[in-house]
Amino acid sequence: MTDTNSMRWRLTGYVLFCVIILVFPYILNNDYLLNKYARYLIFGVLSAALSFSWGYTGILNLGQAVSFGLGSYAMAMALKLRTIPIQTGAGGLPDFMVWNNVKALPWFWEPFHSYTFAVFAGLGIPMLLAFVLGWFMFRGRITGVFVAIITLAMLVVINLVIVDQQKYTGGFNGITDLSTFKAFGVGFDAYSLSTYYLVAGTLCVVLLGGLAITRTKLGLILQAIRDDENRVRYFGYDVASYQNFAFTLSAGVAGFAGMLYTLVMEFASPTFLSVQLSLSIVIWCAVGGRGSLLGAALGAILVTGVQGNLSESPTFLDTWMLIMGAIFIIVVLFLPNGLISLAEKGVRLLKHKSARETATHPVAGAAIATFDSKRVRES
Amino acid sequence: MAMLEMRDVEVSFSGFRAIAGLNLSVNQGELRCLVGPNGAGKTTALDVICGKTRLARGHVRYRDREIGNSEEFRIARLGVGRKFQVPSVFKELTVRENLRVGLCKPHGVFSNLVGRKSGESAERLEALACLVGLADELDHPASWLSHGQTQWLEIALLLAQNADLILMDEPTAGMTGAETHKTAELFNQLKGKHTLMVVEHDMGFVREIGDVISVMHQGRMLAEGAISEIERNPEVKRAYLGSGRISDA
Ligand SMILES: Nc1ncnc2c1ncn2[C@@H]1O[C@H](COP(=O)(O)OP(=O)(O)OP(=O)(O)O)[C@@H](O)[C@H]1O
Ligand SMILES: [Mg+2]
Repeated sequence: MTDTNSMRWRLTGYVLFCVIILVFPYILNNDYLLNKYARYLIFGVLSAALSFSWGYTGILNLGQAVSFGLGSYAMAMALKLRTIPIQTGAGGLPDFMVWNNVKALPWFWEPFHSYTFAVFAGLGIPMLLAFVLGWFMFRGRITGVFVAIITLAMLVVINLVIVDQQKYTGGFNGITDLSTFKAFGVGFDAYSLSTYYLVAGTLCVVLLGGLAITRTKLGLILQAIRDDENRVRYFGYDVASYQNFAFTLSAGVAGFAGMLYTLVMEFASPTFLSVQLSLSIVIWCAVGGRGSLLGAALGAILVTGVQGNLSESPTFLDTWMLIMGAIFIIVVLFLPNGLISLAEKGVRLLKHKSARETATHPVAGAAIATFDSKRVRES
Repeated sequence: MAMLEMRDVEVSFSGFRAIAGLNLSVNQGELRCLVGPNGAGKTTALDVICGKTRLARGHVRYRDREIGNSEEFRIARLGVGRKFQVPSVFKELTVRENLRVGLCKPHGVFSNLVGRKSGESAERLEALACLVGLADELDHPASWLSHGQTQWLEIALLLAQNADLILMDEPTAGMTGAETHKTAELFNQLKGKHTLMVVEHDMGFVREIGDVISVMHQGRMLAEGAISEIERNPEVKRAYLGSGRISDA
């Protein structure tokens, strides 16, 4: 199996998936369900972003939900300032501020009158935060489980601050009662086709763009770092910069997903940057296959989809968490490379078969067979 | 002027002085063999040069530039390459991908994001794979390779890197006699264009490649000279006593 050959299969898979999610609304014309599936696709974006830092570069970021939550709040702040009437008192204040006796709009809310600023903030703040944290971690040669602990700690701290600063953030309730996002004359109502396409389009760009990046020399070096980061240094690559690139890019994508999530949910909440969500992302990634962007996205869609259906069904009301846990354990135990490795195996079998058919010489056939079994054992 | 110069270098591991006042200088284009009994500090000496281990005292100068305690990637960018005693390649990547990582210029993040694959480097890559006998393994993961092949792959990575100063730690360990001989031929081709420092226990191999041999013992330089002088040196003989005679060490 040559490299370009396997790449063709992979690209086919990615494009097929993109086509499916793009034609999906034609099959299913139901606003409520579209909104639900848009949510799952956003989780797909989030999970693919983690796969880039964890699966490709070996950085297990347990604080992925920080980026997601900050993106979500940036969008919610902008939309809150557009609600009419935005205030219950004078001065154009969001309702929860009035309830908390805030007299004037805080300075850091001011720029969110501009959508452009909000979009840049939703991307830029998570990226900046990741970059600064990454700079200290990766320059300090912090790796593996310590990265996980530090990112998790940061998540907990930021979550606490947001819940605590109720006056400015809406506290536990988050930011609710938002207006509808409008850009370029298009409204993005939570239940609209336009929002679904915004989300699905984002996932397509993230998957195909991400795949393109992993195919560059940079993508290769990231994988080399995952494999043996110390060895990479002796070739003259500044490992910390590469790690920080992956970490920061992943945070930006997660921040963007968070903005979309506000559109789809019509509110922002501290649960968007909860430990629980952060751990769920890791599970989606592991179930789908962290070594593949598409696998990770599919894992998220599948797990949240099954979870949604089970938890809504009266039969599984008490047991759905148990079932999810069991699925997770089974997949991780028996498919360490996730569900996507099943597809990879399928492709290999297909090729094995066609190779056998073309092999006229028995020895050549046997050689191919042993070659393939070696490969299967390898994965 | 020497290309590499170590002066009074000291390295200690929590009090234990693995290198205690080492002096060594290597000229441009030279192939220097570094020998010595187990635990003499040979690996540690290479570690200091390539930035893996911090020195407590002393100087390491490379082309008149102080490199002691610099970051590894900066030293590598100056043209220092390193092969490790335990062969280290990227096990999950294919041989081809390994070599692409080895073809390390440019080093920067963004130039590697936007850079295109050049046909020239693809050719060089295949030529390298042929040179070390891995042409048939190009698309196999490095984890499939035998120990000897892994050694070869790491040597090929250093050739891809095209370092001016190549530090080799026991490159022939685990190789058959024929493979060792082939390695010796390769090293003889490399010297002149590159400067090599080779740590070896196999004296047959040293005899094939070495001009000047440096003998380390207990973190110091014990003797330096042509192989015949070294083998007659009574101090060297004494140093090797516990661990067998030098000629069959
Ligand atoms: N990281 C470390 N921590 C503590 N001691 C170390 C460390 N690395 C090396 N040493 C000690 O330093 C001394 C020199 O080790 P070094 O690996 O340089 O020897 P060497 O000459 O390469 O030996 P060999 O021929 O066995 O490879 C040894 O006594 C070793 O135990
Ligand atoms: Mg050693």
